[in-house]
Amino acid sequence: MTNDFVLQIKNLSVSYRTLNDAVSAVRNINLNVGKKESLGIIGESGCGKSTLSYALMDYLPSNGSSTGEVLFRGENLLTKTQKEMMAFRGNRIAMVYQNPYSSLNPSLTIGYQLDEVTMFHRGYKAKKARKASVEALADLYIGDPAGVARRYPHQVSGGMQQRICIAMALLCRPDLIILDEPTTALDVTTEVVILDIIGELKEKYDMSMIYISHDIGVINKVSDRIAVMYRGEVVEVGDQRTIFKHPEHPYTRALINCMPRAGVVKEEVRLNTIPGYVARRSAADTGCPFVDRCEKRNADCEAKYGMIERASGHFAACDRAYAEDVPDRKRAALKIPKVGNGSAKEEILLEISDLYKYYGNQHRRVRALDGVSVSLEKNSVLGVVGESGCGKSTMGHTISGLMAPTKGKILFDGIDISISWKQRTPEVLRDIQLIFQNPGRSLNPSFTLEKIIGRPMKKLLGIQSREERKKRIVDILQKVDLGEEYLYRKATQLSGGEKQRAAVARAFSIAPDLIVCDEPTSALDVSVQASVLNLLGDLQNESGAAYIFISHDLNVINYISDYIMVMYLGRICEYGRKDEVVGPPYHPYTQALLSAVPDVDPSLIREPVRLEGSPPNPTRKITGCPFAGRCHRKIGPICDTTPPPKVQASDDHYIMCHLPLDQLGDAELDKPGNLTKTESLMKTVKA
Amino acid sequence: MQFLTWLIKRLGFVILTLVAMSMLIFLLVEVMPGDVAQTVLGQSATPESVAALRESMGLDDPLPVRYGRWAGGFIQGDLGESLYMRGVQINTIFWRKVGHSVILALTALLFYVPLSIFFGVLAGVKAGKLTDSIISFFGLATMALPEFVSGILLITLFSVKLSILPITSVIPIGQSLWGNLHILILPALSITFVMFGYVSRMQRSSMVTVMNSDYIRAATLKGMPRGYVIFRHALRNALLPTITIIGMNMGWLFGGLIVVETLFGFPGLGSLTLSAIKTRDIPLIEACVLFITAIFVFSTFLTDMLYVYLNPRIRFKGGDA
Repeated sequence: MTNDFVLQIKNLSVSYRTLNDAVSAVRNINLNVGKKESLGIIGESGCGKSTLSYALMDYLPSNGSSTGEVLFRGENLLTKTQKEMMAFRGNRIAMVYQNPYSSLNPSLTIGYQLDEVTMFHRGYKAKKARKASVEALADLYIGDPAGVARRYPHQVSGGMQQRICIAMALLCRPDLIILDEPTTALDVTTEVVILDIIGELKEKYDMSMIYISHDIGVINKVSDRIAVMYRGEVVEVGDQRTIFKHPEHPYTRALINCMPRAGVVKEEVRLNTIPGYVARRSAADTGCPFVDRCEKRNADCEAKYGMIERASGHFAACDRAYAEDVPDRKRAALKIPKVGNGSAKEEILLEISDLYKYYGNQHRRVRALDGVSVSLEKNSVLGVVGESGCGKSTMGHTISGLMAPTKGKILFDGIDISISWKQRTPEVLRDIQLIFQNPGRSLNPSFTLEKIIGRPMKKLLGIQSREERKKRIVDILQKVDLGEEYLYRKATQLSGGEKQRAAVARAFSIAPDLIVCDEPTSALDVSVQASVLNLLGDLQNESGAAYIFISHDLNVINYISDYIMVMYLGRICEYGRKDEVVGPPYHPYTQALLSAVPDVDPSLIREPVRLEGSPPNPTRKITGCPFAGRCHRKIGPICDTTPPPKVQASDDHYIMCHLPLDQLGDAELDKPGNLTKTESLMKTVKA
Repeated sequence: MQFLTWLIKRLGFVILTLVAMSMLIFLLVEVMPGDVAQTVLGQSATPESVAALRESMGLDDPLPVRYGRWAGGFIQGDLGESLYMRGVQINTIFWRKVGHSVILALTALLFYVPLSIFFGVLAGVKAGKLTDSIISFFGLATMALPEFVSGILLITLFSVKLSILPITSVIPIGQSLWGNLHILILPALSITFVMFGYVSRMQRSSMVTVMNSDYIRAATLKGMPRGYVIFRHALRNALLPTITIIGMNMGWLFGGLIVVETLFGFPGLGSLTLSAIKTRDIPLIEACVLFITAIFVFSTFLTDMLYVYLNPRIRFKGGDA
């Protein structure tokens, strides 16, 4: 029986000693990974999923200790010495990490770092090792593998770095590969390619796989079975489809409902949130880990708590996900007056015309914004979406005045604000506010919330009385669900979600007309993201402020926005009302983005559009369509030479493409233009 | 190609710094109170003889002319004539002392660089353990001890108690340093005492940072042996801040060892500078200070070069695949 499993985890617990007590990071894990099986582990930050993966490799910090058994092909790894573990690590069990750039040694060549694996584990001599490394790189569809091997990690793109890390993990053909959020730091179109490669190589080399992620969509794509972790415990494990379609554990269900996904929009539904936060778990705590945040708890649920097989192969620690004695919370839609219905157009708040922003000098000019024109109505949300480097943040920065544009005009309520903040009037400064991606870094850690939120009130609203400010601060804190007791807390004493709420409170404290939200939820867990999105939706509705909402996540953009603008290489590809943008006809790039987003619902997963290569060098001057080099619908030379026309699809829906509108539908996906998986992988060789 | 333009730019910068520094040194000496001719002739000299000497030394010429003459001489390798020891060319004494200083500095480098890097790495790898505490304590203690205290301790131990090394590092008349290399040991050791703390602490803290990085974890989980991970993966990256510290102290090491040289009576550049200042021997002061400056500038340049060599992120910029 034991031979059927590559890995058996039995009662594995990991705890960390701290000054005061022992923290339980992972407890009582029982999981098996079969031959060629792919196990997905999902959970929010702090749930112990990474600790679990390091515990499997017997790699814990000096204050950590583990109990239980980790049987790898029948051998208990936890009883091995570090020296004995060397024979397993990188050889029979390999790992790939979240951040490929920091996982590669910056001062050694890529080839060196690959070669040493086979030199140690296989005893290869330098020449043979290099040959194996080059072959492994070629396996990952890396063009010019021998040349790449001579480079240093910083000389290749992020997607390429992750492929190199995967190649490194596969060098010794391990029995088990552990992937810890391998695509989280990558763009969606790159993610598609990496997931394809992982799937293909897993088949090719008969590997078992543990795939760790916070993203249900990604997990769905790559796993046969899914384990859901919460506060160190596996609360539910089962077949991929079962977990999605019929979760038994209330946490699993709540988590799935937190995720903004295709078709979920603020007009129809509020995102589910999980009240409270993930508390640290001391080793002394027992019982249900979710009980304090669970909406389905009742008097005797603690007593019944325990991992039980609920259906064949489906284990859950609780079965109250759909319990009827505690009714589901109503998730009312936001009451939002429909925008852009043609009748009474709202006034224009912001008008951007022909905006350019260049970085660098004459020799190396990066065109971050390359002629962007768009306008924003009062009381509406414009979602700006695109991959990293598309210029979306630069646009936010020029609007908020962090930097002046190179060329072009920004009119805000009729005032020209194409200047930096230093030259702007206090009124304009007050009326445009910013919310940053990382609240931990944008809030001064040594200030109390009173000072952080009160400062703009004092400087920009001129409220000198401290009492008056305090009254207003408490008001606004309550609006963002932080009580009065937060007034004297410092930013460092808050959780990630609380920090972002404080940042939101700061932005709203002086009643601005426009708020630029630059990836405000990207650094947050899904359940926290849901509550911040709900909050932003409520506040927008209530205050009538307009948002420019910048995100790489199309699902989030689709949820919160009224209008969507899709950017690529500093230019607009498509602009329109959100329902028009996410439905056909679409710009080929929008289509690729949409299809690349891994869907939460496994039955909705469709074949993604696979793009060739990576975005071109932004320093090159583009004469035609910026997307031409990677477009799956490219017509011919016209795409490279002539800028695409701005085609009006409806009242306010524009697509910049040479193709006629009637050919920009969904059906085209199946036409020969779209690459199959292997074709796309082969084509990336050229990149 | 990029590297070559960088190199040329940096070298140009080195020369510019040297020229600017030479002007500054010249001016500083110029504004020092006291008249050179008066100093040379002594307090009893008549105003006429002082004026005559000023005339013959060209001291009445305008400033730029005097600077030009001085700097021109320097470039041609003529450091001028000592004022204190009339008729002695500075060249004849200066380079001998420089030679001694360089040998002492190299000996000290040979002592303290490997030692402090080794113990710094050891402390960094064993961070939080007893080994780390002992090394860190020792480093802090030696750092706090001024060199004349540690020097006296060393003399007491090795010369007085054990009698294996000479008390002073004077070179006997008629002999060269090469026949008396053992006199270098005590001064070099006391320099080591001063530098060990700085360098090993820097090495320790950068080692701790590097050992906690993702790529070290990745290397360990690739199954690489611990020693290999430390020396091949970590050390190279952890050396960068240490190199800066060592480079920054180069000027001091080659020319500023006034206390150590005085304590041991070592005939180096430091004691030469000191006596030049005491005797107001202006041309000699200028030569000494300019030389020390040059050492500073060139060692910074070398540090940068080493940095570039060790850090490929500076060496090759950008280039997406």
